[in-house]
Amino acid sequence: MSDNEEDIIEGSDEEGEAMTASEVLQKLEEAWITERMSPTLEKHQSELVDCMLDQINQMSENLKRCKKYDFRLAIHKMEIDRIRYVLSSYLRVRLEKIERFAHHLLEKQTNLSNEDLSILSPQEAAYAKDYASSLEAHFQNLVLQHVPENLRTFDRGKMSVKPNLDSYVFLKVKQATPGVLLEDDTGEGRDEEVDFKEGSQYLMRYKPIMELLQSGAVTLI
Amino acid sequence: MDSIEIEFLAEKAPVTIVPNFTHDKLYLISGDVGPFTAGLPVDIPLWLGINLRQRGKCRLVAPEWMDVEKLTEIKEEEKQSKVFTQMPCEHYLIVTQLLLSSAPEDIPNAQQIKTLVKDIWDLRISKLRSSVAEFIESEGTHATLDRLTLLEINSVRPFLPHAFDQLHRISKSAHGSNLSQTTQDIQY
Repeated sequence: MSDNEEDIIEGSDEEGEAMTASEVLQKLEEAWITERMSPTLEKHQSELVDCMLDQINQMSENLKRCKKYDFRLAIHKMEIDRIRYVLSSYLRVRLEKIERFAHHLLEKQTNLSNEDLSILSPQEAAYAKDYASSLEAHFQNLVLQHVPENLRTFDRGKMSVKPNLDSYVFLKVKQATPGVLLEDDTGEGRDEEVDFKEGSQYLMRYKPIMELLQSGAVTLI
Repeated sequence: MDSIEIEFLAEKAPVTIVPNFTHDKLYLISGDVGPFTAGLPVDIPLWLGINLRQRGKCRLVAPEWMDVEKLTEIKEEEKQSKVFTQMPCEHYLIVTQLLLSSAPEDIPNAQQIKTLVKDIWDLRISKLRSSVAEFIESEGTHATLDRLTLLEINSVRPFLPHAFDQLHRISKSAHGSNLSQTTQDIQY
């Protein structure tokens, strides 16, 4: 098992830096909390998920070679369980959102110019499509085919539920960012500017900080 | 967020233990721990510390701030100060509860510490409640929550952000903006 010490995983960030397993885990945990707290679906982090899955599979393989009463066994198993908990909670909360916003997300997906910008991972996109079409088939079978013909049309646009980007969220600043503009969209013309200091915590609307969240300057808490 | 999830996060905090066994370094995915030498203190994650303690493999050492004198000081400061003071540990309440429930005999003056930490928590929560009321009356658009710990923030969730969602919705529609599109909030 000692070979894990040197495990360096190809990084998923733009600079192409290699990350250690513990850094990947740290990032995954951040992504998990952010996803838990965000009113909308964040960009998928398949690289982090796949990397951690590899890590725990590899570790489980290693553990099989361990003696049954090895002192390390229980500890490593416990750690695997903890990581698995984060992973499944993360994926589950994404699936919940995908089901809720299925039509909206699919619409966004078809308007994409570049695959890399996709919020959904390929598997998630397939899931969303399946979900939307089974929902539609279900409505057809259950009700629509039994009602008069002029009422049978099914308008996806009307079914679509959008996330409320005006939701208030708690956030923590990771990189100081001066002059964050909080636009006032209530028409009172009270735009405000806030200087984000590193380590500060705020409660504010999601929309103005959406980009900072994507760039990693802030995280949700 | 569930308080269980916050407890999960708090369990990553480091704790000092004195092991009664000797073992090489452990190469965990989340980082290396050890080596363990019987009788020599070593820092490990709290979840591991509690597990080892339950298996009778170590003694837990109270963190530096978990001390009657220090906590009394913090409590006084919190009482005097109008704003929130900096806590010695992000998860002070959870760490105290976890340590005291798994190894009360390892922590000197456990009972007093429990009361002090609870007092500090109560002081801060009542401060938080009154500032929430003040904040809503001030009709601000955002709030600064420096030095509040995660569990404290969670105590006003989902009520506070949700109240703001509604306030925002009202002021938006009062100014004639169109809200025809269905949006849905997710509440935690």
